Amino acid sequence: MKKDTVISYIFRIVSYFIFAIVMLIFILTIGSGIGYFSWDFFTQAPSNGMTAGGILPAILGSLAVLVLSLVFAIPVGMFTGIYLAEYGGRTVIAQLLMTAITSLAGVPSVVFGLFGLSLFCITFGFRTSLLAGSLTLSIMTLPVIASTVNEALKAIPRTVRESAYALGAKKTEVIFKVLIPYAKSRILTAILIGGGRVIGETAPILLTGAIFFSTTLPTSVMDPVMTLPSHIYYISMAYGENAQWMAKGASAFLMIFVLVIYAIAFRIRRKMNER
Amino acid sequence: MSDKLRPIIEVKNFYGYYGEKAGLKDVSFNFASKKITAIIGPSGCGKSTLLRSINRMNDEIPGYHTEGDILYEGKNVYDSDVDLTIMRKKVGMVFQKPTPFPMSIYDNIAFGPRIHGLRNKNKLEEIVENSLKQASLWDEVKDELHKSAYSLSGGQQQRLCIARALAVDPEVILLDEPTSALDPIATQNIEVLLEELSENYTIIIVTHNLAQAVRISDYMLFMYRGELIESGETSMIVKQPENKLTEQYLNGKIG
Repeated sequence: MKKDTVISYIFRIVSYFIFAIVMLIFILTIGSGIGYFSWDFFTQAPSNGMTAGGILPAILGSLAVLVLSLVFAIPVGMFTGIYLAEYGGRTVIAQLLMTAITSLAGVPSVVFGLFGLSLFCITFGFRTSLLAGSLTLSIMTLPVIASTVNEALKAIPRTVRESAYALGAKKTEVIFKVLIPYAKSRILTAILIGGGRVIGETAPILLTGAIFFSTTLPTSVMDPVMTLPSHIYYISMAYGENAQWMAKGASAFLMIFVLVIYAIAFRIRRKMNER
Repeated sequence: MSDKLRPIIEVKNFYGYYGEKAGLKDVSFNFASKKITAIIGPSGCGKSTLLRSINRMNDEIPGYHTEGDILYEGKNVYDSDVDLTIMRKKVGMVFQKPTPFPMSIYDNIAFGPRIHGLRNKNKLEEIVENSLKQASLWDEVKDELHKSAYSLSGGQQQRLCIARALAVDPEVILLDEPTSALDPIATQNIEVLLEELSENYTIIIVTHNLAQAVRISDYMLFMYRGELIESGETSMIVKQPENKLTEQYLNGKIG
């Protein structure tokens, strides 16, 4: 056999192997949980020691965490990205900020959890709450959004921004009326992928926002919440065999939810590439 | 002097530096009002630098600095009290590749008037229609003004960019190789358009395409290595170049 043929076989086997692992994760998680989906599963709170009922409070909790953390992360991330791309240039502050963002992206999530616990829960006195959890997760998402906005703005052809300046536009007009709309799809994709991470993150929310079990939904941002990942964690760690179905069902739902978010993100990305 | 002959832009002993490197050396030239002036020369000769110095677009390039004056209607554009927003409204620019903004055809044209404070809907509609008509694009797009500007062909996009520049009512239009990314038919459309526009506007065009410069320009500047080698009426230069370098360039020996 020729060398080229051998190498192409190796590439093919490796890619099939990776594809198989991914499919296996999907099939095992979704396959073993989807059978428990029912009307009650999505509309009821858990009951009888997690052996009956559904996961409604966890779904609502996760959605609340998702929305609230994006409410914090999107504006701060956008402004950081805009600053880096359009104002910072090669200044020392911009360089430091860039390094900080890159390092943040590499910090393990449990460290974010501990950070949130000490800063938001204890120092700020938010205790274990929706607010503390969302803030912690928003700090995790910040670097993703900031660096994407930065890169997306820098990737815009110079002549597009020059065309706007040449019409007499001021810097803020160029940024907000031309550059941001130009980079809109990339920014939206980053926000969705960041959102997908937020909803699946377990360690930070366990430490800062999640409650083990609650029969009532949170009434303010200072209340703790149930979330999907923490619910799955608690059930698998602390409950017996007859509660495991709920963890499986919740995992399947979480997986599908994240896949849908990613599918939307990839769809936007594909549409953008067609342009 | 009649209005047609009075220089609208006067470049006086102008130097442009990229850091230490001089991109323009002691250039002086008077651009005639309501004429087409072409700036030609081989790559890296400084023709784009000269063009981009007129509306101070090169200010955005880190390390770019200048010496000497460029007067627009008698006022030095490099004076500290010059309002770039107003100056650039009067001196529009079109680039090599079409640069439509990510919005509808209508909003692209209305962008300039809007940032200069115009809100009146009827007035905006009038400007959009007139600008597109002047850029010979109206008939092709009048029924799809609210479609994305990206749906247009390359040649249409470039005419859209010209219409967008016209919408802020400029007096001068600077064009930086506006047809080098276009096919021959789209190029011809733009050339015809520029000749029409020179009735009412001063047009300064940088081009790589010598034949194009000869076809459309009234005056010509030949630049080489940052220096203005020869300038004058296009017909005279083509017929009887005074400088040897110009002659070599016209004959395709350098370029």
